[in-house]
Amino acid sequence: MDQSPAIRLVDLKKRFRLQHHPVTTLKAAAANFWKRRWEDLWALNGVTLDVGRGQTLAVIGRNGSGKSTLLGLLGRVYLPTSGLVEVNGRVAALLELGAGFHPDLTGEQNVLLNGVILGMREREVRGHLDPIIRYAELEHFRDAPLRSYSAGMIMRLGFSVAVFTDPEILLIDEVLAVGDEPFQRKCLRQIRRFQDSGRTIVFVSHDIDTVREVAGRVVWIHEGSVRADGATDQVVGDYLEFAAQQAAAEAQA
Amino acid sequence: MLGDLKELWNYRDLVKSLVVRDLTVRYKNSVLGFFWSLANPLVQVATITIIFKYVLAIGIPNYSAYVLCAFLPWMFFQLSLSDAGESVLRQYDLLRKVYFPREALTIASVIANLIHLALALGVFFIYLLALGVAVEPGWLLLPVCVLFNFFLVLGLAFFVSALSVFYEDMRYLVNVATNLFFYCCPIIYVSEQILFSSKIPAGLRERIWEVYHWNPMATFIEGYRQLLLPRFTGAGITDVPLDWRHIALAGVVSFVLMVAGYAFFNSRKWRFAERS
Repeated sequence: MDQSPAIRLVDLKKRFRLQHHPVTTLKAAAANFWKRRWEDLWALNGVTLDVGRGQTLAVIGRNGSGKSTLLGLLGRVYLPTSGLVEVNGRVAALLELGAGFHPDLTGEQNVLLNGVILGMREREVRGHLDPIIRYAELEHFRDAPLRSYSAGMIMRLGFSVAVFTDPEILLIDEVLAVGDEPFQRKCLRQIRRFQDSGRTIVFVSHDIDTVREVAGRVVWIHEGSVRADGATDQVVGDYLEFAAQQAAAEAQA
Repeated sequence: MLGDLKELWNYRDLVKSLVVRDLTVRYKNSVLGFFWSLANPLVQVATITIIFKYVLAIGIPNYSAYVLCAFLPWMFFQLSLSDAGESVLRQYDLLRKVYFPREALTIASVIANLIHLALALGVFFIYLLALGVAVEPGWLLLPVCVLFNFFLVLGLAFFVSALSVFYEDMRYLVNVATNLFFYCCPIIYVSEQILFSSKIPAGLRERIWEVYHWNPMATFIEGYRQLLLPRFTGAGITDVPLDWRHIALAGVVSFVLMVAGYAFFNSRKWRFAERS
């Protein structure tokens, strides 16, 4: 068996160019051709990290610390500015459910489209069509246009498609925070199943309870660098202490 | 670029699914949807025909067939470019979340319009039969013309869709440019009118005629007409047979534009998700 880690990051850096006066028209681009100004924003500033196969890693940190950028780099939404991203295995991103759905298409048509967007072959999606719709508990709405779905139904359908892409590496960005209680429990059950079958999971969350419940390892990102990396209780404890100190300092100031 | 092509090949089902989505949404009420998409060119052609036949009295028999034959590829050109501007932008939320080859969006929107052109040409055949115009055997060469035309439109669509992500006013520019470009193509006139114009000095006509054919779209529209319709007579114009040098030139220009457009798109596509 392949012993390489599921994910390997070496001195990973990502710079965004922040424009003070965003140029969004050709007219402005022509007018400001000689005086374009931007500020470099280093969202990630040298992250080195290995994630072993079968590990569940939670990424925590304050807003704007670079967590989502990290996930975006793993999911190939961005190219790194420098450094190495190595991902060994099929990745599925469980990001913002329902993205890529079309309101005029039926549930079934949307499943076919969404599965292919997530990297499946059309044949595979067709093969999984019934289980996907059954898992989402939407058999009765299969041929109804998506515009007639409630937000919860769309969420269930999106989650179901992502589950059936059968990823070796699963990226989750705050999805667990949305949805009602039964849906959240269903998500957690599914994550357990993924863990039991040896999948690698990387998830970003502000919900410390979920982190404690699910993750075996936690990485705390602070201002684009790894501040702490280790066992869940240890890192979460340090992070909460830090957050409390910050809150106290802010209250004083 | 080869790596990009290979990746695109891996995602070929995505292109297919996106085309199916575009056509499903457009032809939702199957027959009616298709009818409405034909309504615009038919109304324009009817108007032009009446004006040219009765008001300007140009005197070419079946003039409407000549106009419609040019109008269908023109609609393909125009709609593809306006859809291309939207193709990536409409999926902007998605491409900030999920990886897939971004060019699939642009390619699929052009292919959907290509299929629409094919359907419209099918209706055009029926129309020709109804008019009693003899269909020329040249239509066997039509696929070559359509393929070259596809290269041209896809190449321009790559530029338009990549630039539209960063510049909101791209669509106005495209709109103005295509409106102007309309008159650079032989749609409401025939290109031979340049060659037989009494207003242009005799020595210049041939030169302008050659320069005119540097525009691949003009050559293609001429090609559609020559391949599908009988030679027209009248208005002091003698039909000039299709010059294969022109078709070859237009094909090469279109192919180069397609490759250049793809390279341009690829050089920008990783920055789409980072737009401020």
